Amino acid sequence: MKKRYSLLLLLAGFFLLQSCQENRAYRALIVTGQSNHNWQASATILKTILDQTKLFSTDIAQTPKEKGDMSNFHPNFSKYSIVVMDYNGDSWPEATKTAFLEYVKNGGGVVIYHEADNSFPDWKEYNEIIGLGGWNHRSEKDGPYVYYSKNQLVIDTVKGSAGSHGPQHEYLVRARKADHPILKGLPVAWMHGKDELYSTLRGPAKNMEILATAYADTAKRGTGRDEPMLMTITYGKGRIFHTAMGHVGKDATHPATECVGFIVTLQRGAEWAACGNVTQTIPIDFPNVAGSVSRPEYKEVTLTEDLDKIAAYTIDKSTKYLTDLQARIRQVSGNPAALLDLEKQMVSILKETGATVEGKKLILKELAWMGSDYCIPAVQELLKNDELKDAATFTLERMKGPRKI
Amino acid sequence: MTNSNRRSFLKNSAVASVGALVLPQIIPSTAMGMGGKLAPSNRLVMGAIGTGSQGKSNMRDFLELNKEVQFVAVCDVDTNNLQKAKALADGAYVNNDCRTYGDYREFLEKEKLDAVCIALPDHWHGIIYTAAVEKKLHVYGEKPICRTIRDGQTIVKAVQKNKITWQTGSWQRSRPNFHRGAELAINGRLGKIHHIEVGLPNGNRGIGTPPVQDVPKELNWDMWLGPAPKVAYRGVSHWNWRWILEYSGGQLTDWAGHHIDIANWGAGLEHTGPVEIVGEGVYPREGIYNVPVEYDFNCKYANGIEMRVCNEARLEKGSGTTWYGDKGWIHVNRGETLFASDPKILEEVIGENEIHLIKSDNHWQNFVNCVRSGEKTIAPVEVAYRAISVALLGEIAMQTGQKIQWDPDKEEIIGNPMAARLLDRPYRAPWQLPTI
Repeated sequence: MKKRYSLLLLLAGFFLLQSCQENRAYRALIVTGQSNHNWQASATILKTILDQTKLFSTDIAQTPKEKGDMSNFHPNFSKYSIVVMDYNGDSWPEATKTAFLEYVKNGGGVVIYHEADNSFPDWKEYNEIIGLGGWNHRSEKDGPYVYYSKNQLVIDTVKGSAGSHGPQHEYLVRARKADHPILKGLPVAWMHGKDELYSTLRGPAKNMEILATAYADTAKRGTGRDEPMLMTITYGKGRIFHTAMGHVGKDATHPATECVGFIVTLQRGAEWAACGNVTQTIPIDFPNVAGSVSRPEYKEVTLTEDLDKIAAYTIDKSTKYLTDLQARIRQVSGNPAALLDLEKQMVSILKETGATVEGKKLILKELAWMGSDYCIPAVQELLKNDELKDAATFTLERMKGPRKI
Repeated sequence: MTNSNRRSFLKNSAVASVGALVLPQIIPSTAMGMGGKLAPSNRLVMGAIGTGSQGKSNMRDFLELNKEVQFVAVCDVDTNNLQKAKALADGAYVNNDCRTYGDYREFLEKEKLDAVCIALPDHWHGIIYTAAVEKKLHVYGEKPICRTIRDGQTIVKAVQKNKITWQTGSWQRSRPNFHRGAELAINGRLGKIHHIEVGLPNGNRGIGTPPVQDVPKELNWDMWLGPAPKVAYRGVSHWNWRWILEYSGGQLTDWAGHHIDIANWGAGLEHTGPVEIVGEGVYPREGIYNVPVEYDFNCKYANGIEMRVCNEARLEKGSGTTWYGDKGWIHVNRGETLFASDPKILEEVIGENEIHLIKSDNHWQNFVNCVRSGEKTIAPVEVAYRAISVALLGEIAMQTGQKIQWDPDKEEIIGNPMAARLLDRPYRAPWQLPTI
């Protein structure tokens, strides 16, 4: 099985080396150090997610602890394309606040992550940057509630406190601006990993667009409204991407940030905040309404992994690697050269003595419609195998084209 | 004959034919020298193949027709369903005469019938519809009439060759709101129609990967699979076959025979197909259910009309058919609903010299009447084939991720041999689609 990938691995290693040497387009600064969440874990997670894009090289700026001496906290914001706020804590020195505002006004990008929209309740400009916030005594004095109800945007000035959520659960995120560069090409709805569902946020909501919402089910102590989950805001020349998702607590696992929906929208939102555009392609494992998809260790599933798993498939196992392969086929189906590359790797599974019968059947089913002459000898060979004869016949028959009537 | 006249006439004829019950064998009316046409005084001798929930539902609908039909035999691969269907028939005639079969070949060989009512998983349609039609039986067949375009073409050809009466289970055509909406649309009450939206139910989110289990003793699993690939039994057969691509295309192909069919009816597209199809499907990543859970594709027709077909959550108007023209829109859906951009459109009278679509107030009665008269039914096989073709082409566009060019006259995909393979689905030996 190893032979199949030796060249591939070599190539991958080469590209890896190259990408480490290449200059990444943007520098990102994660500001962290205080919060009511597990910032020690979340800052590393955010860095991992951003660095993975190969677009960002990410630094972390850590404030002093709660009630510590802030006077020396002066990150040089202007060196960065985006500042990622992973912070909910003490006020910054006036000079730092001013520098941050200047940075944004002059076109600096900002990513507001989860509890960062709890921070700085009394800093007027910061609240304009986040658009909507919650907790820390926010109320009608800070702006209206903003949400969707029955597919209509609602701006509600009624009195009341800001910020709430029920128990963590998986929920459906629904695009409201599917054509925005951050969401373009993604499913219009997807299942998000187990997370808090921030609700009843309120704020100035100036120059703000809601990109996606989630329905806060009353059965989960929710509001019965479609609450904003992803937002963009402009402040001066600066672009802000705000995700209300991604809770990281003290638990050993973090399903909210391991969710591919969270990861990918953060990566795309960060790029948009940096340059106003998104160049990243949609990964094949992006979730949809059928269920959430998790990336343990934040690694994107590779073609090699998909093929390995298919080669070891037995009928009690997950078919998600086949679904991935189908999506990869779809991505290149209009490109004969790329399709042939994929076909060659699929055929190598047919030839492997170690690959399972059921795994080979999965491959045969796909080759039946997308295979070229290249695969025919390998498929014909399987006609000799009693367990695979039917599946190989199916493939060869279908490849001949529709029957005449 | 007016409606009320026909009703009382049939009532009388039903009384007159009670004597038939004492015969040891019900003789099909077609065997009685009527030149293939049935005399109204004779009951239609019917059988049913496929007696799951939809099969039994159709039987009940036929049995309600003033005993105009008599079910003499039923066939199913599940003995539980078979016994329930027999009980349904025997209960209606107060006897124990309905014969049961586990193999449709024996059923078609031994039974002398006028007509058969067929309700099977889609992967069986090609073979069994064709076999019944080749026996010159009149067929009430469930939609969608085929799992692939090739199956559909074969069935259409068989029906035309054997000149039998065919009714598709697209019963919405026999409901007044759908009929009225389509008749207003086709008579230009919206001006020129430029696009159509078809909203169909959202997909099923799946059941994961259930373990392989013993086949229930009442089920002949190999026969249930038939021409589909041999797979282990995981507890999914009746009803839920709908969510597995080997047997069905999901809600999309299930509902094509309803809302796409109605869309075609009102836009005059019943006998043609799109020329270009492009779209996107959302497939579940995990589990044995693999039909798209969301789907959205657009069809262009040679006359400029565009039809968008998608799951209902993507449309403001949700489920149903909406025709959009220069002068407004009409939306029609289940629940007797009929809406228009201007309510005055719905009050329009269709003039004597305008198009009058076939009218039926009972889909099963329409079949029986047409078997007797030899007239075309309200849902003939050709239009059923065109309705499901739209969904099957959409399915191909979604699976391949490509824009599909289709020649609706030659009924072939143009310039894409890879996608063209998906017009057909090879059968597992020894099953074969007959050549007509």
